[in-house]
Amino acid sequence: MEWSGQVFSWIYQYFDNMAFLLLAASGLILIYGMMGVINMAHGELMMIGAYVASAAFYVGAPAPVAIVAAGLVAGLVGIAMERLVIRHFYNQLLSSLVVTWGLSLILSQGVLLALGPSTMNMPTPFGSFSVGGFSFGVYRMVLFATAIGLIAGVWALFRFSSFGVAARAAMENPRMASALGVDTKRVYTATFAIGSALGGIAGALFAQTAAISPFFGQNYTPMAFITVVMGGGASAILGLVYAALYLAGVQTIASNVFNQYVGYVSIMAAAFIGLLVMPSGISDFVQKRRARRMAR
Amino acid sequence: MASSASQLSLAAVQSGYGRVKVVQNVSLEVATGEIVAVIGRNGVGKSTLMKTIIGEIAPMSGAVSFRGLDVTRLDAARRARLGVGYVPQGRDVFARMTVGENLALGRRVGGAPAANLERVFGFFPILEKRLAQPAGSMSGGEQQQLAIGRILAGRPDIILLDEPSEGVQPNIVQEIGRIIRRLRDEERLTVLIVEQNLSLIRAVADRCVIMDKGAVVGEIAPEALDDPETAARYLSI
Ligand SMILES: Nc1ncnc2c1ncn2[C@@H]1O[C@H](COP(=O)(O)OP(=O)(O)OP(=O)(O)O)[C@@H](O)[C@H]1O
Ligand SMILES: [Mg+2]
Repeated sequence: MEWSGQVFSWIYQYFDNMAFLLLAASGLILIYGMMGVINMAHGELMMIGAYVASAAFYVGAPAPVAIVAAGLVAGLVGIAMERLVIRHFYNQLLSSLVVTWGLSLILSQGVLLALGPSTMNMPTPFGSFSVGGFSFGVYRMVLFATAIGLIAGVWALFRFSSFGVAARAAMENPRMASALGVDTKRVYTATFAIGSALGGIAGALFAQTAAISPFFGQNYTPMAFITVVMGGGASAILGLVYAALYLAGVQTIASNVFNQYVGYVSIMAAAFIGLLVMPSGISDFVQKRRARRMAR
Repeated sequence: MASSASQLSLAAVQSGYGRVKVVQNVSLEVATGEIVAVIGRNGVGKSTLMKTIIGEIAPMSGAVSFRGLDVTRLDAARRARLGVGYVPQGRDVFARMTVGENLALGRRVGGAPAANLERVFGFFPILEKRLAQPAGSMSGGEQQQLAIGRILAGRPDIILLDEPSEGVQPNIVQEIGRIIRRLRDEERLTVLIVEQNLSLIRAVADRCVIMDKGAVVGEIAPEALDDPETAARYLSI
Protein backbone atom coordinates (compact mmCIF):
# COMPACT_ATOMS: atom_id res chain seq x y z
CA MET A 1 0.00 0.00 0.00
CA GLU A 2 2.28 2.78 -1.31
CA TRP A 3 -0.35 5.52 -1.23
CA SER A 4 -1.32 5.01 2.40
CA GLY A 5 2.29 5.57 3.37
CA GLN A 6 2.45 8.67 1.19
CA VAL A 7 -0.74 10.14 2.67
CA PHE A 8 0.42 9.33 6.18
CA SER A 9 3.75 10.94 5.40
CA TRP A 10 2.03 14.20 4.48
CA ILE A 11 -0.02 14.18 7.65
CA TYR A 12 3.06 13.28 9.66
CA GLN A 13 5.01 16.16 8.15
CA TYR A 14 2.15 18.54 8.83
CA PHE A 15 2.07 17.57 12.50
CA ASP A 16 5.85 17.66 12.72
CA ASN A 17 5.97 21.15 11.20
CA MET A 18 3.21 22.32 13.52
CA ALA A 19 5.01 20.91 16.55
CA PHE A 20 8.11 22.85 15.56
CA LEU A 21 6.26 26.16 15.34
CA LEU A 22 4.10 25.56 18.42
CA LEU A 23 7.04 24.68 20.63
CA ALA A 24 9.36 27.37 19.31
CA ALA A 25 6.75 30.12 19.64
CA SER A 26 4.59 29.23 22.67
CA GLY A 27 6.60 31.08 25.32
CA LEU A 28 7.29 33.97 23.00
CA ILE A 29 3.65 34.55 22.11
CA LEU A 30 2.52 34.21 25.72
CA ILE A 31 4.86 37.04 26.71
CA TYR A 32 3.93 39.11 23.68
CA GLY A 33 0.20 38.65 24.11
CA MET A 34 0.19 39.34 27.82
CA MET A 35 2.78 42.09 28.06
CA GLY A 36 3.39 43.57 24.63
CA VAL A 37 7.09 42.79 24.43
CA ILE A 38 8.83 40.47 22.01
CA ASN A 39 11.72 38.74 23.65
CA MET A 40 14.41 38.32 20.99
CA ALA A 41 16.44 36.37 23.54
CA HIS A 42 13.80 33.64 23.58
CA GLY A 43 16.01 31.45 21.40
CA GLU A 44 18.79 31.81 23.96
CA LEU A 45 16.43 30.60 26.68
CA MET A 46 15.85 27.58 24.45
CA MET A 47 19.61 27.18 24.08
CA ILE A 48 20.01 27.29 27.86
CA GLY A 49 17.26 24.69 28.16
CA ALA A 50 19.05 22.48 25.64
CA TYR A 51 22.34 22.66 27.55
CA VAL A 52 20.69 22.03 30.89
CA ALA A 53 18.78 19.05 29.52
CA SER A 54 21.84 17.47 27.94
CA ALA A 55 23.93 18.06 31.06
CA ALA A 56 21.23 16.48 33.20
CA PHE A 57 20.94 13.64 30.74
CA TYR A 58 24.68 12.91 30.81
CA VAL A 59 24.79 12.81 34.58
CA GLY A 60 22.12 10.14 34.37
CA ALA A 61 18.83 11.94 34.87
CA PRO A 62 15.86 10.42 33.04
CA ALA A 63 14.63 12.49 30.08
CA PRO A 64 11.49 13.88 31.79
CA VAL A 65 13.60 15.10 34.71
CA ALA A 66 16.09 16.68 32.31
CA ILE A 67 13.24 18.48 30.55
CA VAL A 68 11.73 19.79 33.77
CA ALA A 69 15.19 20.94 34.93
CA ALA A 70 15.59 22.82 31.64
CA GLY A 71 12.26 24.56 32.19
CA LEU A 72 13.17 25.51 35.75
CA VAL A 73 16.57 26.94 34.87
CA ALA A 74 15.19 28.87 31.88
CA GLY A 75 12.38 30.16 34.10
CA LEU A 76 14.90 31.41 36.66
CA VAL A 77 17.00 33.06 33.95
CA GLY A 78 13.76 34.62 32.70
CA ILE A 79 13.01 36.01 36.16
CA ALA A 80 16.45 37.61 36.28
CA MET A 81 15.99 39.06 32.78
CA GLU A 82 12.58 40.45 33.68
CA ARG A 83 13.68 41.97 36.97
CA LEU A 84 16.83 43.57 35.61
CA VAL A 85 15.87 44.60 32.09
CA ILE A 86 12.51 43.78 30.55
CA ARG A 87 10.47 45.36 33.36
CA HIS A 88 11.41 48.79 32.05
CA PHE A 89 10.16 48.12 28.54
CA TYR A 90 6.64 46.77 28.86
CA ASN A 91 4.36 47.79 26.03
CA GLN A 92 7.27 49.37 24.16
CA LEU A 93 7.56 47.00 21.26
CA LEU A 94 10.52 48.59 19.47
CA SER A 95 12.67 49.29 22.51
CA SER A 96 11.99 45.81 23.81
CA LEU A 97 13.12 44.34 20.49
CA VAL A 98 16.43 46.18 20.58
CA VAL A 99 17.12 45.51 24.24
CA THR A 100 16.28 41.83 24.11
CA TRP A 101 18.27 41.43 20.91
CA GLY A 102 21.21 42.76 22.92
CA LEU A 103 20.45 40.23 25.64
CA SER A 104 20.40 37.45 23.09
CA LEU A 105 23.88 38.41 21.87
CA ILE A 106 25.22 38.59 25.41
CA LEU A 107 23.80 35.17 26.29
CA SER A 108 24.96 33.36 23.16
CA GLN A 109 28.43 34.97 23.23
CA GLY A 110 28.66 34.30 26.95
CA VAL A 111 27.96 30.61 26.45
CA LEU A 112 30.43 30.56 23.55
CA LEU A 113 33.13 31.99 25.84
CA ALA A 114 32.27 29.64 28.68
CA LEU A 115 31.75 26.38 26.80
CA GLY A 116 33.43 26.90 23.45
CA PRO A 117 31.98 26.47 19.97
CA SER A 118 31.81 22.68 19.95
CA THR A 119 28.44 21.05 19.63
CA MET A 120 26.80 18.47 21.82
CA ASN A 121 24.25 15.85 20.98
CA MET A 122 21.52 13.98 22.73
CA PRO A 123 20.12 10.74 21.31
CA THR A 124 16.61 10.80 19.86
CA PRO A 125 14.46 8.45 21.93
CA PHE A 126 11.67 6.05 21.00
CA GLY A 127 12.90 4.72 17.62
CA SER A 128 10.62 4.54 14.61
CA PHE A 129 7.61 2.87 13.07
CA SER A 130 6.60 2.28 9.47
CA VAL A 131 3.44 2.83 7.48
CA GLY A 132 3.08 1.61 3.88
CA GLY A 133 6.80 1.22 3.40
CA PHE A 134 7.65 4.67 4.87
CA SER A 135 9.54 4.98 8.13
CA PHE A 136 8.60 7.56 10.78
CA GLY A 137 10.25 8.70 14.02
CA VAL A 138 8.02 8.22 17.07
CA TYR A 139 9.65 11.13 18.85
CA ARG A 140 8.26 13.67 16.38
CA MET A 141 4.74 12.65 17.31
CA VAL A 142 5.65 12.81 20.98
CA LEU A 143 6.82 16.37 20.35
CA PHE A 144 3.48 17.24 18.82
CA ALA A 145 1.52 15.71 21.67
CA THR A 146 3.75 17.47 24.20
CA ALA A 147 3.26 20.79 22.43
CA ILE A 148 -0.51 20.39 22.57
CA GLY A 149 -0.34 19.35 26.21
CA LEU A 150 1.82 22.32 27.18
CA ILE A 151 -0.36 24.78 25.33
CA ALA A 152 -3.55 23.34 26.81
CA GLY A 153 -1.96 23.53 30.25
CA VAL A 154 -0.99 27.17 29.85
CA TRP A 155 -4.41 27.97 28.43
CA ALA A 156 -6.15 26.34 31.40
CA LEU A 157 -3.83 28.13 33.84
CA PHE A 158 -4.72 31.54 32.46
CA ARG A 159 -8.35 30.69 31.88
CA PHE A 160 -9.32 29.10 35.16
CA SER A 161 -6.82 29.65 37.96
CA SER A 162 -6.99 32.59 40.31
CA PHE A 163 -3.50 33.54 39.15
CA GLY A 164 -4.81 33.52 35.58
CA VAL A 165 -7.71 35.81 36.41
CA ALA A 166 -5.37 38.21 38.20
CA ALA A 167 -2.91 38.08 35.31
CA ARG A 168 -5.53 38.86 32.69
CA ALA A 169 -6.84 41.70 34.83
CA ALA A 170 -3.33 43.10 35.19
CA MET A 171 -2.86 42.97 31.41
CA GLU A 172 -6.18 44.61 30.63
CA ASN A 173 -6.09 47.41 33.20
CA PRO A 174 -3.10 47.39 35.54
CA ARG A 175 -4.25 50.38 37.57
CA MET A 176 -7.64 48.87 38.34
CA ALA A 177 -6.07 45.48 39.02
CA SER A 178 -3.78 47.10 41.61
CA ALA A 179 -6.75 48.83 43.19
CA LEU A 180 -8.23 45.36 43.62
CA GLY A 181 -5.15 44.08 45.38
CA VAL A 182 -3.30 42.46 42.48
CA ASP A 183 0.47 42.79 42.77
CA THR A 184 0.96 43.59 39.08
CA LYS A 185 4.76 43.48 39.18
CA ARG A 186 4.70 39.96 40.54
CA VAL A 187 2.15 38.94 37.95
CA TYR A 188 4.40 40.24 35.16
CA THR A 189 7.43 38.48 36.58
CA ALA A 190 5.51 35.23 36.94
CA THR A 191 4.10 35.42 33.42
CA PHE A 192 7.54 36.14 32.01
CA ALA A 193 8.95 33.23 33.97
CA ILE A 194 6.28 30.89 32.59
CA GLY A 195 7.02 32.05 29.03
CA SER A 196 10.75 31.56 29.62
CA ALA A 197 10.21 28.11 31.11
CA LEU A 198 8.23 27.15 28.01
CA GLY A 199 11.26 28.24 25.98
CA GLY A 200 13.57 26.13 28.14
CA ILE A 201 11.31 23.09 27.80
CA ALA A 202 11.10 23.56 24.05
CA GLY A 203 14.90 23.78 23.92
CA ALA A 204 15.21 20.55 25.89
CA LEU A 205 12.78 18.81 23.55
CA PHE A 206 14.55 20.04 20.42
CA ALA A 207 17.92 19.13 21.94
CA GLN A 208 16.98 15.53 21.27
CA THR A 209 16.65 16.22 17.55
CA ALA A 210 19.38 18.77 16.80
CA ALA A 211 22.97 19.60 17.62
CA ILE A 212 23.42 21.85 20.66
CA SER A 213 25.71 24.84 20.34
CA PRO A 214 25.82 28.41 21.69
CA PHE A 215 23.87 29.47 18.60
CA PHE A 216 21.26 26.74 18.95
CA GLY A 217 18.56 29.39 19.48
CA GLN A 218 19.10 30.89 16.05
CA ASN A 219 17.56 27.79 14.49
CA TYR A 220 14.27 28.68 16.12
CA THR A 221 14.06 32.43 16.70
CA PRO A 222 13.13 33.46 13.12
CA MET A 223 10.30 30.93 12.81
CA ALA A 224 9.06 31.62 16.32
CA PHE A 225 9.07 35.32 15.57
CA ILE A 226 7.10 34.87 12.34
CA THR A 227 4.59 32.61 14.07
CA VAL A 228 4.02 35.18 16.80
CA VAL A 229 3.55 38.06 14.38
CA MET A 230 1.21 35.96 12.27
CA GLY A 231 -0.73 34.84 15.34
CA GLY A 232 -1.12 38.36 16.73
CA GLY A 233 -1.49 39.53 20.29
CA ALA A 234 -5.30 39.63 20.61
CA SER A 235 -5.44 36.11 21.94
CA ALA A 236 -2.05 34.53 22.46
CA ILE A 237 -3.04 30.88 22.58
CA LEU A 238 -5.61 30.94 19.78
CA GLY A 239 -3.28 33.07 17.66
CA LEU A 240 -0.50 30.54 18.12
CA VAL A 241 -2.73 27.65 17.09
CA TYR A 242 -4.14 29.47 14.06
CA ALA A 243 -0.69 30.57 12.91
CA ALA A 244 0.78 27.08 13.32
CA LEU A 245 -2.11 25.47 11.43
CA TYR A 246 -1.71 27.94 8.59
CA LEU A 247 2.06 28.25 8.30
CA ALA A 248 2.77 24.55 8.78
CA GLY A 249 0.12 23.77 6.16
CA VAL A 250 1.78 25.99 3.57
CA GLN A 251 5.20 24.63 4.51
CA THR A 252 4.09 21.01 4.16
CA ILE A 253 2.56 21.57 0.74
CA ALA A 254 5.50 23.60 -0.55
CA SER A 255 8.12 21.15 0.64
CA ASN A 256 6.30 18.25 -1.01
CA VAL A 257 5.65 20.06 -4.29
CA PHE A 258 9.17 21.51 -4.37
CA ASN A 259 11.71 20.68 -1.67
CA GLN A 260 12.50 21.21 2.01
CA TYR A 261 14.26 24.49 1.42
CA VAL A 262 11.35 25.96 -0.55
CA GLY A 263 9.08 24.69 2.19
CA TYR A 264 11.05 26.60 4.79
CA VAL A 265 11.10 29.80 2.75
CA SER A 266 7.40 29.42 2.00
CA ILE A 267 6.66 30.09 5.68
CA MET A 268 7.95 33.59 5.19
CA ALA A 269 5.98 34.06 1.99
CA ALA A 270 2.85 32.74 3.69
CA ALA A 271 3.33 35.11 6.61
CA PHE A 272 3.92 38.01 4.23
CA ILE A 273 0.67 37.36 2.38
CA GLY A 274 -1.21 36.62 5.60
CA LEU A 275 -0.09 39.90 7.13
CA LEU A 276 -1.19 41.86 4.06
CA VAL A 277 -4.70 40.55 4.64
CA MET A 278 -4.57 40.56 8.45
CA PRO A 279 -2.04 43.24 9.47
CA SER A 280 -2.26 42.60 13.21
CA GLY A 281 -2.32 38.84 13.00
CA ILE A 282 -4.91 36.11 12.74
CA SER A 283 -6.24 36.25 16.31
CA ASP A 284 -6.85 39.98 16.04
CA PHE A 285 -8.60 39.49 12.70
CA VAL A 286 -10.84 36.74 14.06
CA GLN A 287 -11.65 38.72 17.21
CA LYS A 288 -12.64 41.84 15.24
CA ARG A 289 -14.86 39.83 12.91
CA ARG A 290 -16.54 38.16 15.83
CA ALA A 291 -17.09 41.54 17.52
CA ARG A 292 -18.60 42.92 14.31
CA ARG A 293 -20.93 39.94 14.07
CA MET A 294 -21.97 40.39 17.72
CA ALA A 295 -22.63 44.09 17.16
CA ARG A 296 -25.10 43.26 14.40
CA MET B 1 -18.79 46.65 66.75
CA ALA B 2 -16.07 49.05 65.64
CA SER B 3 -15.64 52.27 67.52
CA SER B 4 -16.55 55.56 65.91
CA ALA B 5 -12.84 56.30 65.65
CA SER B 6 -11.49 57.68 62.41
CA GLN B 7 -11.58 55.17 59.57
CA LEU B 8 -9.82 57.41 57.08
CA SER B 9 -7.64 60.35 57.85
CA LEU B 10 -5.85 62.74 55.51
CA ALA B 11 -3.28 65.20 56.85
CA ALA B 12 -2.24 68.08 54.60
CA VAL B 13 -2.18 65.91 51.49
CA GLN B 14 -0.82 67.38 48.27
CA SER B 15 -0.73 65.41 45.05
CA GLY B 16 -0.97 65.69 41.30
CA TYR B 17 0.44 64.52 38.01
CA GLY B 18 4.14 64.89 37.30
CA ARG B 19 5.05 68.28 38.70
CA VAL B 20 1.52 69.67 38.36
CA LYS B 21 -0.02 69.91 41.79
CA VAL B 22 -3.76 69.29 41.78
CA VAL B 23 -4.76 68.42 45.35
CA GLN B 24 -3.78 71.26 47.67
CA ASN B 25 -3.25 70.68 51.34
CA VAL B 26 -6.31 68.52 51.98
CA SER B 27 -7.05 67.34 55.53
CA LEU B 28 -10.07 65.19 56.18
CA GLU B 29 -11.42 62.75 58.76
CA VAL B 30 -14.04 60.14 57.99
CA ALA B 31 -15.42 58.23 60.97
CA THR B 32 -16.36 54.55 60.91
CA GLY B 33 -19.85 54.11 59.51
CA GLU B 34 -19.99 57.64 58.16
CA ILE B 35 -21.05 58.54 54.60
CA VAL B 36 -19.22 61.62 53.39
CA ALA B 37 -19.89 63.20 50.01
CA VAL B 38 -17.19 65.17 48.20
CA ILE B 39 -18.73 67.81 45.98
CA GLY B 40 -17.34 70.51 43.72
CA ARG B 41 -17.39 71.58 40.13
CA ASN B 42 -15.77 69.75 37.21
CA GLY B 43 -12.01 69.57 37.26
CA VAL B 44 -11.47 70.74 40.85
CA GLY B 45 -9.55 67.57 41.70
CA LYS B 46 -12.11 65.23 43.26
CA SER B 47 -11.00 62.18 41.30
CA THR B 48 -7.36 63.03 41.89
CA LEU B 49 -8.08 63.09 45.62
CA MET B 50 -9.70 59.65 45.40
CA LYS B 51 -6.75 58.23 43.45
CA THR B 52 -4.42 59.60 46.10
CA ILE B 53 -6.40 57.97 48.89
CA ILE B 54 -6.41 54.54 47.29
CA GLY B 55 -2.72 54.77 46.38
CA GLU B 56 -2.93 54.99 42.61
CA ILE B 57 -0.92 58.20 42.80
CA ALA B 58 1.59 58.94 45.54
CA PRO B 59 1.20 62.18 47.47
CA MET B 60 3.86 64.87 47.10
CA SER B 61 3.50 65.55 50.81
CA GLY B 62 1.17 64.85 53.69
CA ALA B 63 -0.11 61.56 55.07
CA VAL B 64 -2.95 59.11 54.51
CA SER B 65 -4.03 56.68 57.24
CA PHE B 66 -6.63 53.97 57.60
CA ARG B 67 -7.81 53.17 61.11
CA GLY B 68 -4.77 54.91 62.48
CA LEU B 69 -2.35 53.00 60.26
CA ASP B 70 -0.17 55.22 58.10
CA VAL B 71 -0.45 53.90 54.53
CA THR B 72 1.18 56.83 52.75
CA ARG B 73 4.06 54.66 51.54
CA LEU B 74 1.93 51.64 50.59
CA ASP B 75 0.92 50.95 47.00
CA ALA B 76 -2.67 50.53 45.83
CA ALA B 77 -2.59 46.74 46.01
CA ARG B 78 -1.57 46.73 49.64
CA ARG B 79 -4.13 49.34 50.59
CA ALA B 80 -6.80 47.28 48.85
CA ARG B 81 -5.79 44.29 50.93
CA LEU B 82 -6.20 46.42 54.05
CA GLY B 83 -9.88 46.79 53.21
CA VAL B 84 -10.16 49.77 50.90
CA GLY B 85 -12.64 49.29 48.04
CA TYR B 86 -12.61 51.64 45.07
CA VAL B 87 -15.09 52.23 42.27
CA PRO B 88 -13.44 54.67 39.87
CA GLN B 89 -15.16 57.23 37.71
CA GLY B 90 -15.94 55.37 34.49
CA ARG B 91 -16.22 52.13 36.51
CA ASP B 92 -13.26 50.31 34.88
CA VAL B 93 -14.76 46.87 34.78
CA PHE B 94 -12.49 44.38 33.03
CA ALA B 95 -14.33 44.43 29.74
CA ARG B 96 -12.74 41.34 28.22
CA MET B 97 -13.37 39.25 31.31
CA THR B 98 -16.69 37.78 32.35
CA VAL B 99 -18.90 39.18 35.08
CA GLY B 100 -18.03 36.14 37.17
CA GLU B 101 -14.29 36.71 36.74
CA ASN B 102 -14.64 40.36 37.68
CA LEU B 103 -16.43 39.33 40.86
CA ALA B 104 -13.92 36.57 41.60
CA LEU B 105 -11.14 39.11 41.43
CA GLY B 106 -12.94 41.41 43.84
CA ARG B 107 -13.58 38.58 46.28
CA ARG B 108 -9.96 37.48 46.15
CA VAL B 109 -8.72 40.73 47.76
CA GLY B 110 -10.48 40.28 51.05
CA GLY B 111 -10.25 36.50 51.03
CA ALA B 112 -14.03 36.53 51.57
CA PRO B 113 -15.85 33.16 51.40
CA ALA B 114 -17.68 32.21 48.21
CA ALA B 115 -20.96 32.60 50.07
CA ASN B 116 -20.27 36.32 50.11
CA LEU B 117 -21.14 36.39 46.42
CA GLU B 118 -24.69 35.40 47.38
CA ARG B 119 -24.88 38.57 49.40
CA VAL B 120 -23.73 40.58 46.37
CA PHE B 121 -26.35 38.88 44.18
CA GLY B 122 -28.91 39.82 46.81
CA PHE B 123 -28.02 43.48 46.20
CA PHE B 124 -27.60 43.20 42.42
CA PRO B 125 -29.62 40.26 41.07
CA ILE B 126 -28.73 41.16 37.49
CA LEU B 127 -25.11 40.07 38.11
CA GLU B 128 -26.10 36.51 38.87
CA LYS B 129 -27.95 36.28 35.56
CA ARG B 130 -24.97 37.64 33.63
CA LEU B 131 -22.16 35.65 35.22
CA ALA B 132 -20.78 34.19 32.00
CA GLN B 133 -21.18 37.35 29.90
CA PRO B 134 -18.18 39.57 29.03
CA ALA B 135 -18.41 42.61 31.30
CA GLY B 136 -17.75 44.95 28.38
CA SER B 137 -20.98 43.90 26.69
CA MET B 138 -23.19 45.14 29.53
CA SER B 139 -24.96 48.51 29.71
CA GLY B 140 -23.51 51.41 31.69
CA GLY B 141 -25.87 50.86 34.60
CA GLU B 142 -25.13 47.16 34.71
CA GLN B 143 -21.38 47.85 34.63
CA GLN B 144 -21.78 50.25 37.54
CA GLN B 145 -23.58 47.56 39.52
CA LEU B 146 -20.77 45.16 38.67
CA ALA B 147 -18.10 47.66 39.75
CA ILE B 148 -19.84 48.12 43.10
CA GLY B 149 -20.62 44.42 43.47
CA ARG B 150 -17.00 43.62 42.70
CA ILE B 151 -15.68 45.54 45.69
CA LEU B 152 -18.48 44.41 48.00
CA ALA B 153 -17.47 40.84 47.15
CA GLY B 154 -14.18 41.50 48.96
CA ARG B 155 -15.88 42.81 52.12
CA PRO B 156 -14.04 46.13 52.40
CA ASP B 157 -14.21 48.32 55.50
CA ILE B 158 -14.38 51.53 53.52
CA ILE B 159 -15.48 52.16 49.96
CA LEU B 160 -14.67 55.09 47.71
CA LEU B 161 -17.16 55.76 44.95
CA ASP B 162 -16.34 58.25 42.21
CA GLU B 163 -19.53 59.54 40.60
CA PRO B 164 -21.43 56.23 40.63
CA SER B 165 -24.50 57.91 39.13
CA GLU B 166 -22.71 59.03 35.98
CA GLY B 167 -24.44 57.61 32.90
CA VAL B 168 -26.74 55.43 34.99
CA GLN B 169 -30.53 55.49 34.70
CA PRO B 170 -32.39 57.13 37.64
CA ASN B 171 -34.06 54.02 39.05
CA ILE B 172 -30.69 52.26 39.30
CA VAL B 173 -29.16 55.33 40.92
CA GLN B 174 -31.91 55.16 43.53
CA GLU B 175 -31.25 51.48 44.05
CA ILE B 176 -27.53 52.14 44.50
CA GLY B 177 -28.42 54.80 47.09
CA ARG B 178 -30.57 52.35 49.03
CA ILE B 179 -27.83 49.72 48.99
CA ILE B 180 -25.21 52.15 50.26
CA ARG B 181 -27.51 53.17 53.10
CA ARG B 182 -28.24 49.59 53.99
CA LEU B 183 -24.56 48.60 54.05
CA ARG B 184 -23.81 51.45 56.37
CA ASP B 185 -26.78 50.85 58.64
CA GLU B 186 -26.36 47.09 58.84
CA GLU B 187 -22.59 46.65 58.58
CA ARG B 188 -21.14 50.03 59.53
CA LEU B 189 -19.47 50.33 56.14
CA THR B 190 -17.67 53.65 55.76
CA VAL B 191 -18.29 55.50 52.49
CA LEU B 192 -16.56 58.37 50.74
CA ILE B 193 -18.53 59.32 47.65
CA VAL B 194 -17.83 61.91 44.96
CA GLU B 195 -21.16 62.96 43.49
CA GLN B 196 -22.87 65.60 41.37
CA ASN B 197 -26.30 63.97 41.56
CA LEU B 198 -28.34 65.88 44.10
CA SER B 199 -30.87 63.17 44.83
CA LEU B 200 -28.18 60.55 45.45
CA ILE B 201 -26.28 62.89 47.76
CA ARG B 202 -29.49 63.63 49.65
CA ALA B 203 -30.32 59.94 49.87
CA VAL B 204 -27.03 58.84 51.41
CA ALA B 205 -24.72 61.58 52.69
CA ASP B 206 -24.28 62.52 56.33
CA ARG B 207 -22.24 65.58 55.38
CA CYS B 208 -20.75 67.19 52.29
CA VAL B 209 -17.16 68.31 51.89
CA ILE B 210 -16.73 71.06 49.32
CA MET B 211 -13.71 71.11 47.03
CA ASP B 212 -12.53 73.97 44.92
CA LYS B 213 -9.26 74.31 43.00
CA GLY B 214 -7.85 71.23 44.66
CA ALA B 215 -8.54 72.33 48.23
CA VAL B 216 -11.27 71.54 50.72
CA VAL B 217 -12.94 74.92 51.17
CA GLY B 218 -15.77 74.05 53.49
CA GLU B 219 -18.44 71.68 54.61
CA ILE B 220 -22.22 71.80 54.48
CA ALA B 221 -25.15 69.67 55.52
CA PRO B 222 -26.75 67.77 52.63
CA GLU B 223 -30.08 69.52 53.33
CA ALA B 224 -28.45 72.82 52.44
CA LEU B 225 -28.30 71.59 48.83
CA ASP B 226 -32.10 71.70 48.67
CA ASP B 227 -31.66 75.40 48.11
CA PRO B 228 -31.24 75.66 44.32
CA GLU B 229 -28.72 78.49 44.56
CA THR B 230 -26.46 76.54 46.90
CA ALA B 231 -26.75 73.46 44.72
CA ALA B 232 -25.87 75.46 41.62
CA ARG B 233 -22.79 76.85 43.33
CA TYR B 234 -21.30 73.47 44.31
CA LEU B 235 -22.57 70.98 41.77
CA SER B 236 -22.05 71.11 38.01
CA ILE B 237 -25.55 70.45 36.79
N1 LIG C 1 -3.91 61.71 34.27
C1 LIG C 1 -3.81 63.05 34.36
N2 LIG C 1 -2.68 63.68 33.98
C2 LIG C 1 -2.57 65.03 34.06
N3 LIG C 1 -3.53 65.83 34.53
C3 LIG C 1 -4.69 65.29 34.92
C4 LIG C 1 -4.89 63.86 34.85
N4 LIG C 1 -6.13 63.59 35.31
C5 LIG C 1 -6.67 64.78 35.65
N5 LIG C 1 -5.81 65.80 35.41
C6 LIG C 1 -6.05 67.22 35.70
O1 LIG C 1 -6.22 67.38 37.09
C7 LIG C 1 -7.26 68.28 37.36
C8 LIG C 1 -8.29 67.63 38.26
O2 LIG C 1 -8.88 66.54 37.61
P1 LIG C 1 -9.87 65.55 38.34
O3 LIG C 1 -10.18 64.47 37.40
O4 LIG C 1 -9.31 65.20 39.65
O5 LIG C 1 -11.14 66.49 38.54
P2 LIG C 1 -12.60 66.11 39.01
O6 LIG C 1 -12.94 67.06 40.09
O7 LIG C 1 -12.69 64.68 39.31
O8 LIG C 1 -13.45 66.46 37.71
P3 LIG C 1 -14.81 65.80 37.17
O9 LIG C 1 -15.92 66.37 37.98
O10 LIG C 1 -14.86 66.25 35.76
O11 LIG C 1 -14.68 64.33 37.30
C9 LIG C 1 -7.83 68.72 36.02
O12 LIG C 1 -7.27 69.96 35.68
C10 LIG C 1 -7.36 67.67 35.07
O13 LIG C 1 -7.15 68.22 33.79
MG1 LIG D 1 -13.71 63.14 38.49
